[in-house]
Amino acid sequence: MIRFEKVNKWFGKHHVLQDIDFHVAAGDVAVICGPSGSGKSTLIRCINRLEPIQSGDIVVDGMSLTDRKTNITRLRAEVGFVFQQFNLYPHMTALENVILAPLKVRKMNRNEADELGRELLEKVGIQEKALAYPAQLSGGQQQRVAIARGLAMRPKIMLFDEPTSALDPEMINEVLDVMRKLAFEGMTMAVVTHEMGFAREVANNMVFMDEGKIIETGDPEQFYTHPENERTRLFLSKILSH
Amino acid sequence: MWSFYFSQLTDSIPFFLKGLWMTFKISGISLVLGTVLGFCVGIARASKVKPLRYILYVYVDFMRGTPYLVQIFIVFFILPEWGIQLAAFPAAIFSLTLYAGAYICEIVAGGIEAVDAGQTEAAMATGLNRFQRMRYVVMPQAMRTILPPLVGQYVLLIKDSSIVSVIGLTDITRVGWLTVQRIPEGIMVFGLVGILYFSICYPLILLSNWFERRLRAQGG
Repeated sequence: MIRFEKVNKWFGKHHVLQDIDFHVAAGDVAVICGPSGSGKSTLIRCINRLEPIQSGDIVVDGMSLTDRKTNITRLRAEVGFVFQQFNLYPHMTALENVILAPLKVRKMNRNEADELGRELLEKVGIQEKALAYPAQLSGGQQQRVAIARGLAMRPKIMLFDEPTSALDPEMINEVLDVMRKLAFEGMTMAVVTHEMGFAREVANNMVFMDEGKIIETGDPEQFYTHPENERTRLFLSKILSH
Repeated sequence: MWSFYFSQLTDSIPFFLKGLWMTFKISGISLVLGTVLGFCVGIARASKVKPLRYILYVYVDFMRGTPYLVQIFIVFFILPEWGIQLAAFPAAIFSLTLYAGAYICEIVAGGIEAVDAGQTEAAMATGLNRFQRMRYVVMPQAMRTILPPLVGQYVLLIKDSSIVSVIGLTDITRVGWLTVQRIPEGIMVFGLVGILYFSICYPLILLSNWFERRLRAQGG
């Protein structure tokens, strides 16, 4: 479903992604972790070309990102993205946030879109806040609206870039619950997160990154109990101790 | 003597109203055209097409770096030498539109840049195209920052329109000059001219302040 082939990316002179090979099969959940600055957010942002790559190729649902014939706007519609800072549109209600793309990109009529929006808000557990503006919602609620917005185009893949890092601790679970539900429904997901409990529960594939490289990949149990690489071990011991 | 002049001045009121109408027409038309131009140029400048951006910088910097008086001279006296002959009224509209457009462009570009980049990314990620992102996500948010200085710019435009009197258009300012030749009571004549400008500008100043307060109440 998502395949990285020898992907390289630079920010100026800084080589942020180095020869990345990486694969997520349909229905799989890949969890990407690593210290800050390791390139994990960049990696996930490359998948829908929020960041361009300089060499190599990324193939998403059979469409190559480097192929000039690929319609990038169409590809983005197939991929939902959830940001660390939510990035909800502050001038629109929760419902309007969710249905903007279906209305404008899919040209859905208003009634159909409303119905879809309410259904998705119900799915993330905040149907009663449909008419609230983002500023009136808690961080956890905002992030759930953002997930509903990501789902509104009926994507085949969902990407999450540190979805709980900006949240107060007591709100993390309500967001993770929604993500678990999606994972169990069989959504293909790539998640950058340090929530190791969540990773252990739903990930099929763990990826550890450091300094722009993938250091280690593996199934979660193996990854946690017997990490092969010294750096992985060090990183895990740091984050698991709190 | 003073009361004699005053009654003469009241007799000239229709003349003043005609001047007011001219000022109103010139600044109103250039305000609308300048706004359209400024928004187009401002949005284009936020685009990533480099040559286009440089051309627009040259335009904006030239308009902002030279006095309007010089610009209207160029349009009205110099362009005819190159075969572009405009009557006074279209010359005033043309030059004032270009002038206002440059300032409005800066205001619009600034407003767009003030919108968090995450907003565009979020819109991009859901598959909205460039136009849709601008129309539904960026501009509605940018408008809040744009409105107070935009209305402030309208006030400047109305006042700067007084310069068109130098190419013979009978706006309020020129009515003042013509009247003071008959009624040599300058303070009275130009007092009236000032009052007329003020009566158009002051509501706009209040409007701009109101937008400003609303912006701050919403947390900038």
